[in-house]
Amino acid sequence: MITIDGSYGEGGGQILRTSLALSLITREPFNITHIRAKRRKPGLMRQHLTAVQAASAIGKARVEGLELGSTNLTFVPEQLKGGKYRFSIGTAGSTTLILQTVLPALLLADQPSQLTLEGGTHNPLAPPYHFIEKAFLPLMRRMGAEITMELERPGFYPAGGGVFHVTIQPCKDLKGLELMERGEVKQRSVLGLLSQLPFHIIEREFQELKRRLNWEKDCFKPLMCESKGPGNVLIAELVCENVTEVFTTFGEKNKRAETVASSLVKMIRRYLSSEAALGEYLADQILLPMVLAGKGAFTTLKPSGHTLTNIHVIRKFLSVSIDLTEIDEDRTIIRIQD
Amino acid sequence: MTKKTTVVLGFLGSVLDYGGKESSRWDKWRPNLALCRFEDLLIHRLELFHENRIATTTHILCEDIIGVSPETKIHTHILKIQDPWDFEEVYGKLLDYVRQYPFDTEKEDYFVHITTGTHVEQICLYLLTETHYIPARLIQTSPPSRRRPDQEGQYRIIDLDLSKYDLIMQRIHQEQKDSVSFLKSGIDTKNLRFNHLIDQIEHVSLHSHEPILLTGPTGSGKSRLARRIYQLKKSKWQAKGELVEVNCATLKGDNAMSTLFGHIKGAFTGAIQNRSGLLRRADGGLLFLDEIGELGLDEQAMLLRAVEEKTFLPMGADKEVQSNFQLIVGTNRSLQDEVVKGQFREDLLARIDLWTFELPGLKDRREDIEPNIYYELEQIAEQQGGKISFHSRALESFLTFAISHDAIWKANFRDLNAAIKRMTTFAHNGRITLPVVQDEIERLKKSWSNGDPDDHSDVLEGLISSERLSEIDLFDQIQLREVVKVCQKAKSLAEAGKILFSESRVRKKNQNDTDRLRKYLKRFDVVISG
Repeated sequence: MITIDGSYGEGGGQILRTSLALSLITREPFNITHIRAKRRKPGLMRQHLTAVQAASAIGKARVEGLELGSTNLTFVPEQLKGGKYRFSIGTAGSTTLILQTVLPALLLADQPSQLTLEGGTHNPLAPPYHFIEKAFLPLMRRMGAEITMELERPGFYPAGGGVFHVTIQPCKDLKGLELMERGEVKQRSVLGLLSQLPFHIIEREFQELKRRLNWEKDCFKPLMCESKGPGNVLIAELVCENVTEVFTTFGEKNKRAETVASSLVKMIRRYLSSEAALGEYLADQILLPMVLAGKGAFTTLKPSGHTLTNIHVIRKFLSVSIDLTEIDEDRTIIRIQD
Repeated sequence: MTKKTTVVLGFLGSVLDYGGKESSRWDKWRPNLALCRFEDLLIHRLELFHENRIATTTHILCEDIIGVSPETKIHTHILKIQDPWDFEEVYGKLLDYVRQYPFDTEKEDYFVHITTGTHVEQICLYLLTETHYIPARLIQTSPPSRRRPDQEGQYRIIDLDLSKYDLIMQRIHQEQKDSVSFLKSGIDTKNLRFNHLIDQIEHVSLHSHEPILLTGPTGSGKSRLARRIYQLKKSKWQAKGELVEVNCATLKGDNAMSTLFGHIKGAFTGAIQNRSGLLRRADGGLLFLDEIGELGLDEQAMLLRAVEEKTFLPMGADKEVQSNFQLIVGTNRSLQDEVVKGQFREDLLARIDLWTFELPGLKDRREDIEPNIYYELEQIAEQQGGKISFHSRALESFLTFAISHDAIWKANFRDLNAAIKRMTTFAHNGRITLPVVQDEIERLKKSWSNGDPDDHSDVLEGLISSERLSEIDLFDQIQLREVVKVCQKAKSLAEAGKILFSESRVRKKNQNDTDRLRKYLKRFDVVISG
C-alpha cells in the first residue's frame, strides 16, 4: 500500500484529492496520514468527505477513517466504474474540485460517464467552471479526450446551489502535447457574471477594465444569470494560437468594483509579460492528464505549491519522470517522460 | 459508514433566521443557516420547530439551507404555541413533542440548538435536555466577528454531562471529599466499612429527601452523625429550617403526642395554651428521632402519616397542619424484632427503611480509635483552651489496650470519650502520663466486667466530674443516679419535683419541690436546668 504524508508541502486538501485521483487511475490502494495537518482545523472537512465519497463511488472503494476531523484515511479501490453520477457539495466546497478528482479516472473507465455536479461553480478557492470549460477542456480535446460540459446554473459563494453536467467518453490513449509557446493572442474578452446584484457593479468594473486594458468595446460582455444567491465574477479569456488561458476575479462584499477589475488586470498583465504558455492554474490542471499520456512538455509561470505537491504525489504512484527546468523567474519548463 | 447520523433540534428564529426575500439576506447572519454551513460539522437532519404557521420566509430559509448543505434533511414542525413567552405552555408543547420523538441514540447523535427562539423556549429546551427527556448535547452558534465578516461565525458544543469536564470533575470530587470529611467531623478514619458507609450517606444526604434510618449500638455516633448531616445539608442550602432532635425514650403518654404533634388549647387537662409541637418546628429542616423503637404505636401511626402526606392533626385540632421535614431516625434495637413483637408498625418500618445505615461499634473499627483519640483531645483543647497530649509511652500503652480484644468498648464512643475526659483531667502540665493511662485501663476493664453498661457513668456523664464522683459514697451515688434519671425524663425541674416528692408534698405547707430538688443536687455540685 502506498503511504502519503498529508502534511507534505502546503499540507492542505489538494494532496488528498490528487492521491484519490491517482489511486483510481492506478487501482493502487493508499493510506494518507496527517491529513490537512497545516490547516487551522486539521483533518477531513465536509468538502473532503464529499470528494472521498465521490471517488469511492466511481472506484467501488473500501474506505476507512471517513469521518469529520479524521486525519488518517485508507482508500482501497476495487473496480473503476463509469456511468451516471450525481455529486452534491455543500458549504464552501467547489464542484470543480470533485470533477478534478474523478475526471482523469473516468477517462480510463470501460463506459461513458455522465456527471451532474451540484454546489458552488465559481468559488475563489477553486478553479471556476469557465476556466475548466474554456481553458482546460480544449487542451483535453487536443489530447484526444471527448468531454463536454454544460452549465445549468452557476453557484456562487455563499449560497451555492449551482449545477453543471459533464459527459466523458473513455479514452485509453491520451496524446501528449508540447506547449512551449502560447503564440499570438487571437481573441480577447471579459465576461462579467452578475446575479441578484445591481447592474452598476458590472458597469463600474467594465469601465475600469476598459480604462486600464485599452481593449475594444465589444470585448466586454455582461451576463445576467439566474442563481440561488448573489454573485459577481469577472472572467477574462485570452485565445492564443496554441492555448487558451482564463483568469478570474470575484466581487465580494465590502470590495470596490474597481479593485475587482484591477486585480483581473494584474493577472492578465503578469501572464502576458511572461513568455510562458500556461498560467500556474492551468499547468496544475494539465499535469495529471500529461502524466497519463506518458509524455508531454509545457512552459509555465513559476510552478505553484499545488503543482509541486502534485508532482510529489504522482511520483509516489507512478514511475514517470517529471523534469522541471527554470528558464527565468517567470518561466519554467515541465517535461514528462516515461 | 459506521458514523452516527447527526440530528439537530431547535426553533426557527422568527427574528434571527429572518432575512427577507432579497439577496441581501446573504449578508445577514442567520443562525440555522450558519449551523448548516460549518465545514467541520455535518448535520444530516434538522428538526425545526415553529410556534405557529409556516411563513414564506421559512421556505426561503429551508431552500437556502439545502443550497449550502445538500446533505441536510429539514423537517419542520408546527408546535401551535399561542404565547412563546408562556413557560408552562412552551414546556408542555415541547414535552409532548419529545415524548413521541423516536430517539435512537445507538444510531443518531443529537444536538439541541439553543441560539434561536424566545428565551423561554431556550430555557425549556435546556431543561428538557438537562433532565434527559432529550438525549442531546447543546449547541450554540454565534455571529462572525467584525474582523472576519466573511466567516459563518462560531459554534460551541455544550455537554451537560459534567463528567466530561476534567476541571469541573476535580472540583466536584474535592467538594465530595470535603463533605465526606465534614460528616466524619474531619477525623481521618481508616475503617473501610465505615468510610464506605459515610460515602454513601454523603450521597444520600445530598440527593434524597427521604427518611434515613441509622442503626448501631449505643454510643456508635448516631446523634453526632445526624447533626453533621443536618449541617452538611444546611451548608449546601438544602435545609432551610432547623434541626429538631428528640429521644423517643423521653416521650411518654399524652406528653408524647403533644410534644411531637402539638395540641390546641383545651385539648386535654392542663393544655392551657396552644403548642405547635416538634414536627411543626422541624418544617423545612430535619427531625431526628433517636430510639424510635421507644415510640408508642399511636404516635407511630401519626408519624407515618406526617412522613407520607406532610400533614398531621395536632391533638384536639380539627384542621390538619403541614410540615415538610426530612426524617432521620436512630435505633439500637432491631426494628424487625419489634415488628414481630407487635411493638412497631410494619408500614412505618417499610417507610423509614429506604436508606438504612448500620454504624459499626468501636470494637469493629479499632483502626479508627487512634484518630478519634486525637479528635477528642482537640475537642477538649478547644473547650479548655489548653493543649493536652500523651507521653509517647503512655499513648503506646493506651493504644495497645484500646485495640486489643480486652477492650470491648461496650458503650463505644461514649466510653472512649469518657476515658479521654478522665485522663485529661488527671493530666499533669498538659501531659497524660503512663500511670494515668494504667489507672484508666483498670477503670475501663472494671466497668465493662460489671455487666450493665447503662448502670454507670451514663446518667451522670457530663453532669459531674469523675473526680467529684469518686468522692461520693456509693450509697449516695445510687440515689443520685435515680434522681437524675427522673429529672431527665421530666419536662421541667418542677415536674420532676412533683414526681419525686409526690407523697410528702401533700403534707407540706410550703410545696416548693423544685427548690428542694435543686438543693439536693447542689450537694453533689450537679446542676440541671429547667
